[in-house]
Amino acid sequence: MSDTVKLQDAANGRAPAPSRQILALGVIAVLAALLPLVASDYQLRFVAEILIVGAAVLSLDLLVGYGGLVSLGHATLFGGAAYAAAVASRSLGADLTLMVGIGTLTGMVMAFITGIVVMRTIALFFLILTLIVGQIFWEIAFHWRDVTGGADGMRGLPTLSLNLGVTKLDLSSSFALYVTAAVLAFAAWAVARSFVNAPIGRALIGTRERQLRMSALGYDIARIRMMALLASGAIAGAAGSLYPFVNQYIGPNSMQWTFSAMMVVMLVIGGVGSLYGAFIGTAVYLGIQTYISSYTDRWQLVVGLIFVLTVMIMPRGIVHGVGSLFGGKGKQ
Amino acid sequence: MTMKDAITRRRLIAAGGATAFAGMLGAPLIAKAANGSLRIGMVTSLSGPFAGLGEAMRDGIVMALEEYGNEIAGRRIELIVEDDQAKPDEGVRKFRKLIGQDNVDIVSGVISSAVALAVRDVVTEAEALTFISAGSANALARDAASPLVFRPTKTNWMLGHTAGLWAAEKISKTGCLTIGADYAAGREYIGDFVETYTAQGGAVGQQLWAPLGTTDFGPLLTAIASVQPEFIYSFFAGSDAVRFLRQMKDYRLHEKVKVLGGGALFDQEDVIATVKDAALGGLNTCNQSPTAPASQAFSAAYLARRGVLPGEMGTAGYVTAQVIKAALERVGGDVAAKDQLKENLLALPVDTVFGPMSFDPRNNQAILDIYVNEITESADGPVNQVIHTYQGVQDPGPTA
Repeated sequence: MSDTVKLQDAANGRAPAPSRQILALGVIAVLAALLPLVASDYQLRFVAEILIVGAAVLSLDLLVGYGGLVSLGHATLFGGAAYAAAVASRSLGADLTLMVGIGTLTGMVMAFITGIVVMRTIALFFLILTLIVGQIFWEIAFHWRDVTGGADGMRGLPTLSLNLGVTKLDLSSSFALYVTAAVLAFAAWAVARSFVNAPIGRALIGTRERQLRMSALGYDIARIRMMALLASGAIAGAAGSLYPFVNQYIGPNSMQWTFSAMMVVMLVIGGVGSLYGAFIGTAVYLGIQTYISSYTDRWQLVVGLIFVLTVMIMPRGIVHGVGSLFGGKGKQ
Repeated sequence: MTMKDAITRRRLIAAGGATAFAGMLGAPLIAKAANGSLRIGMVTSLSGPFAGLGEAMRDGIVMALEEYGNEIAGRRIELIVEDDQAKPDEGVRKFRKLIGQDNVDIVSGVISSAVALAVRDVVTEAEALTFISAGSANALARDAASPLVFRPTKTNWMLGHTAGLWAAEKISKTGCLTIGADYAAGREYIGDFVETYTAQGGAVGQQLWAPLGTTDFGPLLTAIASVQPEFIYSFFAGSDAVRFLRQMKDYRLHEKVKVLGGGALFDQEDVIATVKDAALGGLNTCNQSPTAPASQAFSAAYLARRGVLPGEMGTAGYVTAQVIKAALERVGGDVAAKDQLKENLLALPVDTVFGPMSFDPRNNQAILDIYVNEITESADGPVNQVIHTYQGVQDPGPTA
């Protein structure tokens, strides 16, 4: 396969040859299974957090990487679902299926509301409108003290469990959280991938590349974007529903636009339009934030430098960039 | 440049990155190897809105540990400081890291009340010895109290309550207006002040609120000018406090209206060192004062070290070390004996630079002297001068 063809494929979001992909999945599955043997409780929980935030960043990739829609309100979908799950868990208990259901639904409803406002816009206007709608949701969470705890956030949540009919499985241990997050992350990736490869996903890429031609061909662009937003909201919501139970805490920062911006940075570092790059970018960002900050107060400078370097020397993200370091195939 | 060169350069980057990464992973392992030493973790805000406060807190604890020769009860002390950016989520992550990865024996720090509340469940579940240096949410002394969480600082109530007493007794029972930052801490300060003040027979007039991070207090100051209150009770912290006091002066209100506030409004290092004259004549109730008898020697040492008199956070960092020292010495450095340590710490008061500190056995909350400070001119510029001391103020605790 020549470089040009491969580039073309990646830009269209088409996956590499199936056999290679199965091999890659197999390797990841083995590594994922081995991790609990070597990692400490703290590290497992940290990886769980990376997988959960990564799934939300992956859902952002649907919009940014395939629809060309850069959103600054994505944390709202994630955090809103997290709040919904946390509030519901207080009266209904934290059953996994219920939480994920509530989160997914909340994510979709909020994406729908956002979509009504933004679906006819693109580029800068899309960016600003998602930011504004996101901030409105954030204000609600911030000021509705009786329900959300306001600036203090919510704590004292029940632990996550899974009702299997006959028995109830407690999911509060680091290991259980890790497994749950891993399953969620895989499901999120699989859903996003099938969305991208389905006709709707190809149409979404079409709206990004040739908006005018797509309209001329009879595609309803607003509707396609709305579908993408809903799919993205569903994934972000499902991920968000687990978030409060990893830290036993949820606060307004998880809905704020700065977190949205962080997600965009994670996505760019990992690689826009690759889906799985979202997890890498999240791991790099959170890793720096957690580990480098022990050595220097200026850890944000490191994040900034990595961001700039990523954009300059490997614009398609770390995964692709590192691959090309060794393979030499990433010639621009 | 040829393709071959490019690859070599890339390989270099890759190799460099891999080395750095390996070093990063390896570092904690090496640190773990040092035996016999005792590790104290501190989470404070080194970036974000409270960065200045966090640096002062870190310097405070470092200063104390240096005085102890980095050794307490015969054990070498290792301090690990982490940044929470004043964000609860980040605070939770950092506490987990300190406990789960760095295996610290004691966790401490925290400026933001929201962070203090957020980490409560994490440290409780891990049964970690915790000393909250400054996060002063009332709830931590009440329904969110936890057996191994000690709080060697005030609660918001202790400052709001004493301000209410002072105002009703010494200032006026009429003509009061309140203005506060519209977030959790501001609501608590103002609420507790109003409760005590009205219980003492005072009548509160207008109540104004400004969002956190307000840059222009103009509209609110015009409202104050038109009401012409006898005094105002106010709570702002950090840069909000600086802007509020400066604009009060710009509007020439600071000569006409007495300002009584929570300690943070007139923080010696964070606010007064910046606004200078605009703070003169102000009153505040605080658990810390650079002129308190207990703080004299510390204030001088701090001034020599940082070139400014200590504010609450620098002092809080120092006090945290003092309390940890007392706790450890009372169990001979055996930090694993948590119950014994708790029992011994609660049994006797600790002499700190805040003043004498004893702990409430119901909630591990410090019982403290609260100073009424007036900002007066001194050789070092405007300074918080103690004019009265409420001794042994105790939060109502779980019964409130």
